Amino acid sequence: VENLERFLAQRGQALLRIAAMLTGSIEAGEDLLQSAIERLLRQQSWLGGDLEGYLRRTLCNLATDEFRRQGRWRRKLLLLQAETRAQADATAGVDLRDAMVRLLGQLPPQQRTVLVLRYWEQLTGAETAELLGCSEDAVKAAASRGLSRLRQLAGPLLHDEAHLHDMAAGTAEERS
Amino acid sequence: MNLDVEDLLRAGLERFAEQVPVPTGLAHKAARAHRRRMAIRAAAGVGAAAITAAVALAATSGAGGAMQARTTAYMVSRVENALASQHLVFRGQTTTTLGPSVSWVYGPRHRFEELGGNGSQPYLDLGTALIGGKLTNVYVAYYAHTWSLLPEPIPASACSRTGALEMGTPVPTSNWPAFIHATLACGAAAMTGHARIDGMDTLTITGSPVSEKLPAKYAKAIREKWLQARWILYVNPRTYLPVRLASSARTYGGPAPSFLFTSVTHIQWLPPTAANIAKALITIPPGYRRVSSPANQ
Repeated sequence: VENLERFLAQRGQALLRIAAMLTGSIEAGEDLLQSAIERLLRQQSWLGGDLEGYLRRTLCNLATDEFRRQGRWRRKLLLLQAETRAQADATAGVDLRDAMVRLLGQLPPQQRTVLVLRYWEQLTGAETAELLGCSEDAVKAAASRGLSRLRQLAGPLLHDEAHLHDMAAGTAEERS
Repeated sequence: MNLDVEDLLRAGLERFAEQVPVPTGLAHKAARAHRRRMAIRAAAGVGAAAITAAVALAATSGAGGAMQARTTAYMVSRVENALASQHLVFRGQTTTTLGPSVSWVYGPRHRFEELGGNGSQPYLDLGTALIGGKLTNVYVAYYAHTWSLLPEPIPASACSRTGALEMGTPVPTSNWPAFIHATLACGAAAMTGHARIDGMDTLTITGSPVSEKLPAKYAKAIREKWLQARWILYVNPRTYLPVRLASSARTYGGPAPSFLFTSVTHIQWLPPTAANIAKALITIPPGYRRVSSPANQ
């Protein structure tokens, strides 16, 4: 445990970041990371191996399994979609980048995981496929569908931002 | 402004990652949880013992959130009551990244004084003055020797977005205790723990962080798009009156470097002597010229 604690002192934050992105909140990320560490402790043969690789893989698998097992993401998706529509005006003041992370949480688990690995971890399609234990084509499809869905969900927010941008540009023209 | 979803997602993940703290004691926590699970599993071998342990564990973990909510509600109600029933003179000495200011509040009287000249000279005053025997909101610019009438500038509580953003700047000019009272009552804050202030153990109440899009013209002028306000109120656990307010407002999201404006207000509750009450009123110096609005000052 002491060795593991030393390893986590160095790499814990990076792992927690991934876990938080996969789950959508820091608190849930901590729970997920702790579950991954518990699994590591159960399989002590890993303690001398590639700890980080094992924990990353476990985080992705646990995040996907958790949502699948609970079978709730589909119901959650509907609720969140309704919430997003209702909040479209209220969230106008929230940074688009923050909104994008929240919208990420509305994607199905595999799409979300792929996008986090591609856009945060900056893994290639092949690396992502290896980590998730699926084909590269499946990764490409998940990334494409995920981005497409994000564009769809973020549509109203992007429109607001563009509108403000146009207004500001219009003001500048009037002034000049 | 790049509105490409991929770029926004990358930037969003980076911003999100900045908020993730360095975790501590993860392995030990996991080891403890692992041992607990093993113990429960072992107990499962002897039937009823396993059920008892599992129920106890579930009860403990499930009770945490509810307990926290109850504690917050209790704390907040104590602070609300303390603020509602106090008859003291509020004095707030604020230090900001831009300069010092002092606020005085007593009942409907309030005065916010910004100081210049190394904090010794009055620069401007906002608040109430007695004009024709009536309390009237005024704005006095000492540097210009002018004054004007001022509409009530402060929202009722931080539950509106503009109200919440007020908390990120120095203490507002209106009835600050009433503002805090209403803010706590409408649930825009939660009890978050303890902190030592001037050697005293205080309770902390933290407001929900609020982001607001800046008005287009202002955003263009400062080359930023957003403002995020945060605040923490430190409360005396004996009297339940606030003793300090720390707040910040950060601009971000534009081409200019992010700017952080911070302010700390040291709060005192003074006896309502005639001298202290008088300080909550503005006296317009003789000879000052009245102008139509603060914008002309």
